[in-house]
Amino acid sequence: MRRGRSWNAVLVAGLLFFVALVGLPFWWVVSGSFKIPQEIIARVPTMFPQSFTLEHYQKLLSSSDYGTYLVNSLVVSSLSAFITLLLAIPAGYAFFRLEFKGRETYYRIILLAYAFPSIVVLIPLFGMFAKAGLVDTRTALVIVNVAFALPFAIWMLRSFFASIPKEIEEAARLDGGPPLTVLWRIMIPLTAPGIAAVAIFAFVTSWTEYVFASVMILSDARRTIPVGFSGIIGQYQVDWGLLLAGASLAILPVVIVFAFIGRWFVTGLTEGAVK
Amino acid sequence: MARKPILAFAFVAPALLFLAATLVWPLVSAFVLSLQNVRGIGTSGQWVGLENYRFILTYAAFWESAGLSLVWVLANAIVQTLLALAAALILHQKFPGLRIARTWIILTWIVPTVVVVMIWRWLFSTSGGMINPLLIQLGILNRPMGFFATPESAFATLVFINSWRWFPFIALMMLAGLSRIPTELYEAARIDGASAFKRFTRITWPLLAPTLTVLLIIGTLLSFNVFDIIWLMTQGGPAGGTRTLPILIYETAFRSYRMSEAATIAVLATMLLMAFAVLATRSLARSGDER
Repeated sequence: MRRGRSWNAVLVAGLLFFVALVGLPFWWVVSGSFKIPQEIIARVPTMFPQSFTLEHYQKLLSSSDYGTYLVNSLVVSSLSAFITLLLAIPAGYAFFRLEFKGRETYYRIILLAYAFPSIVVLIPLFGMFAKAGLVDTRTALVIVNVAFALPFAIWMLRSFFASIPKEIEEAARLDGGPPLTVLWRIMIPLTAPGIAAVAIFAFVTSWTEYVFASVMILSDARRTIPVGFSGIIGQYQVDWGLLLAGASLAILPVVIVFAFIGRWFVTGLTEGAVK
Repeated sequence: MARKPILAFAFVAPALLFLAATLVWPLVSAFVLSLQNVRGIGTSGQWVGLENYRFILTYAAFWESAGLSLVWVLANAIVQTLLALAAALILHQKFPGLRIARTWIILTWIVPTVVVVMIWRWLFSTSGGMINPLLIQLGILNRPMGFFATPESAFATLVFINSWRWFPFIALMMLAGLSRIPTELYEAARIDGASAFKRFTRITWPLLAPTLTVLLIIGTLLSFNVFDIIWLMTQGGPAGGTRTLPILIYETAFRSYRMSEAATIAVLATMLLMAFAVLATRSLARSGDER
């Protein structure tokens, strides 16, 4: 698409605005984590670090179990994403293709899952987990995270399936494939970017979850990053250097993950979804 | 296609059963709880009928929180939709680095909320934060201000932070809607000599409207339920200025140990949101039929 010069100027200005809005906070945090304490609290903040130190990172890693939190977070988030897909793919396909009684009603009800404050289910769920002996386990976190990601995942997947040309699926069915084979051989490969997007959605939902993780997990060894990090915030209220180092280390893993698969999330979202 | 109820059941049942156990059943328990007078977690209580509802509906703090929640939802909808729309329109253009921009705009959403809160608490703080010096340099402020000192500024700051976290996600969903608009339409309009403004109001806007409506509904539900950012940042303060309904529920349950009253507020909030969601999806379905 061709653009006029003034239009280009608007575009560049808008782009700069968003780069600043999203990028600057992260730049300040990461660059701040390498500054010496005096520079961090200087009256006139520095845009680029004038000093360099690793003391905040050393202190952080020696005074907390950051590595453990990281592993816990990765395990819980990956499992949550996997189980979400396992449940959402057949359900999304059935809601899109198979006919059964009350299909639209069930589908509506699933979407209503976001129509109540999640705080509401915290109390009863805690009671249920207590009876089942699941309090203070990572299993409990996986169950909760899947519950919160699942409705949206089903909704997204249904529209991904709907974006596949009907002819392709029909040809496969005429060849005598049962629905499970059609789903597995044709539909899943064709919607791979969408499925990746859903997986990433579920992963991020559980990666960022704080409230339930803070209530359900009691022992330090099972804490996820958000809970572990909030513990550090509580302990070192005003030690900004330490907190900035902690924030940087909490950001790093998702950034690495996203560097590899972030592209899929965006193509997946923009090629299907939101019907 | 022939009806195959057993197969459909096998496909749908696991997900539905899972949701029934983890969301529906707890909701039902919350309703049961609202008809009793339970105080602490795990203690038992007696049936009191609708007594809690009578109390909560005449409880000033409940109405204050409900009002705050309403303002919170509206403010977030406006700020986050405008930011997202602007971002989506920009990301819909072609420019060098487009793919990088599209991928990394989402950075604000993939960071744990605890970290988001810590980042902004630091940036807004009066000791070493970047925002105050920046605003002073730009001539907007003449001395550092405490962003969380008054109820109004704390509320506005939280709206900004929450919108900052969510707008990229919504922008990408809008981008999905934008990329489904056939480019031929724009080409034809250009040949007919339509201005950029006209192309936006006559093509982009009407074709994007359904997507926007869906996103407004989702955005409303999401922001109504926001708990962690507010709780971690202000705990509902100062002076209750950021005590939205989810905060009030948490406080009532875990600070005042009045489980049944908390459950009552929760049930009322849920009914309110359900009504909104049902009405919104119904009007959406109707406008979909008309097209």
